[in-house]
Amino acid sequence: MRHTSTLNRFFKLHSYGIVLVLCCLFTNAQAFESDWLPQNLQIHGFLSQGFIHTSDNNFFGKTDDSISTDFRELGINASYRILPELQIAMQVVWRDAGKTDDSNVRIDYGVASYTLYSSELSLLTLRGGRVPTPLGLYNDTRDVASTRPNILLPQSIYFDVNRNLALSADGGYIYGEHRTDYGDFSLNFGVVVPRMDDPDFKNTLVGSDPGKMEGDISWVLRTGYEWENGLAKLAITYADFNGDYKPSAGAFFQAGSWRFNPLIFSAQYNAEKWSLTGEYALRRAQLRNFGAIPDTEFTGQSFYIQGTYRLTSSLEALVRYDELIWDMDDRKGLKIAQAAPGIANHSRFAQDWTFGLRYEILPALNFSAEYHRINGTGWLSNLENPQGTTQHWDMYTIMMSYDF
Amino acid sequence: MLLFVLMSQVLSAPTLSIYPVVNRALTQNSVSRNGLSAIFRMRLRQWQDGSPITVFVLHDSNPLHKQFCKQVLNVFPHQMRRSWNKLVFSGTGQAPVTVASKEEMVDKIASTPGAIGYLSDEDIPENIKILIIK
Repeated sequence: MRHTSTLNRFFKLHSYGIVLVLCCLFTNAQAFESDWLPQNLQIHGFLSQGFIHTSDNNFFGKTDDSISTDFRELGINASYRILPELQIAMQVVWRDAGKTDDSNVRIDYGVASYTLYSSELSLLTLRGGRVPTPLGLYNDTRDVASTRPNILLPQSIYFDVNRNLALSADGGYIYGEHRTDYGDFSLNFGVVVPRMDDPDFKNTLVGSDPGKMEGDISWVLRTGYEWENGLAKLAITYADFNGDYKPSAGAFFQAGSWRFNPLIFSAQYNAEKWSLTGEYALRRAQLRNFGAIPDTEFTGQSFYIQGTYRLTSSLEALVRYDELIWDMDDRKGLKIAQAAPGIANHSRFAQDWTFGLRYEILPALNFSAEYHRINGTGWLSNLENPQGTTQHWDMYTIMMSYDF
Repeated sequence: MLLFVLMSQVLSAPTLSIYPVVNRALTQNSVSRNGLSAIFRMRLRQWQDGSPITVFVLHDSNPLHKQFCKQVLNVFPHQMRRSWNKLVFSGTGQAPVTVASKEEMVDKIASTPGAIGYLSDEDIPENIKILIIK
């Protein structure tokens, strides 16, 4: 434990220095890859630094009437193909995102993949360890800025406040792929125990009550279809996530259980200059046996539609509309606001118009800017906004990102 | 002079053929179109005899790379990069090895067992063979 905290302190103190050193080291990443290392060992990494300002409310640090630099992602991974059938890979990430992330160094994944069957037509692989969770189109690589459409993912589906919970989980998967002249079909099924270490997650359920949330047996299924090497993509994801509250001595709440079932439909079309992406999700949440919280069950809805267009070979524009409703039976949050006067009705939904630009300064070095016009605070962190929230707000973000 | 160079490039471009090429020791002589696409997308990592495949590519912006992606694989180079990034940053796969020039491509393919890359027909030396697309 002491070792980890020393490491974390080191990262906190020297974050900018580390970013600079890594930049210098890996600017010629290709040479690094092929000259120093055997061809079956690869090292890759990414780093990004965001600046965020909001007209009201806080997102990733103190952004209200201020500019926050508390959005930083730095990761390095290694993959080693021991045998043609066996690969191991691990990624270590240090991430800061205001109060929603504890800024610790953590292992995002540590995966062993064993290929049971491989031919020109089919692939069957077993994966085990801490595995990125296959949810929708973007979750598996959500920390890497270059794999996102612009700076922030659509929050209605990819909640950043619960990022660790969504990102990866410990367990095993079976992955199958079949390639035909009509497109590639894939199926990914896993049994996992989710991570419950997001600071905001426990806080949302039981506040500062002494105790902790622990993951329980859960499962995830994603089926996918890709036409013409990804020109068009379709996917359906369903998951059953479970967690238990373990109250400590003197806790007010009882040992309750949390259950979450997202069903996500995803579609994407990628032309040479433009792309169109949409995802629609139904999210059912259940709380049982917490004692002071009555047993609850509600279904929410999330969707976004997003278009990108390449203005030049190095400049891409993005427009997106993203909408979140926590409870389909209380779309405007009026019922809950009446029943619990402490809860603002606008915290039960969010409608977010996003306009973004990404400029490629060098291959793999990007500068991005994004403007959000938002109605509602449904995906804001409670921890970052203890003073209450404003319904209509604007967010401005810029980000520098690099990967190798 | 410059005009001549430009014109000759324009004129020669459509006739230039590009082929997937492999290390001469490889026993396999042909591949299906789906198989070739799976190899360059880093989804198929073994030849039919079980030996490992090592994929070499030029930089994303290299004209030969662009031509190979579009004409042979029927995919945009940025789409290829995105699908490699997905594998690399989710721990489920690896990226191809990037070489700086077609001369380096020739060297690597000739010296690496199980290697695959691409070259235009005028650049293919004796010690490298074309992989036939079935």
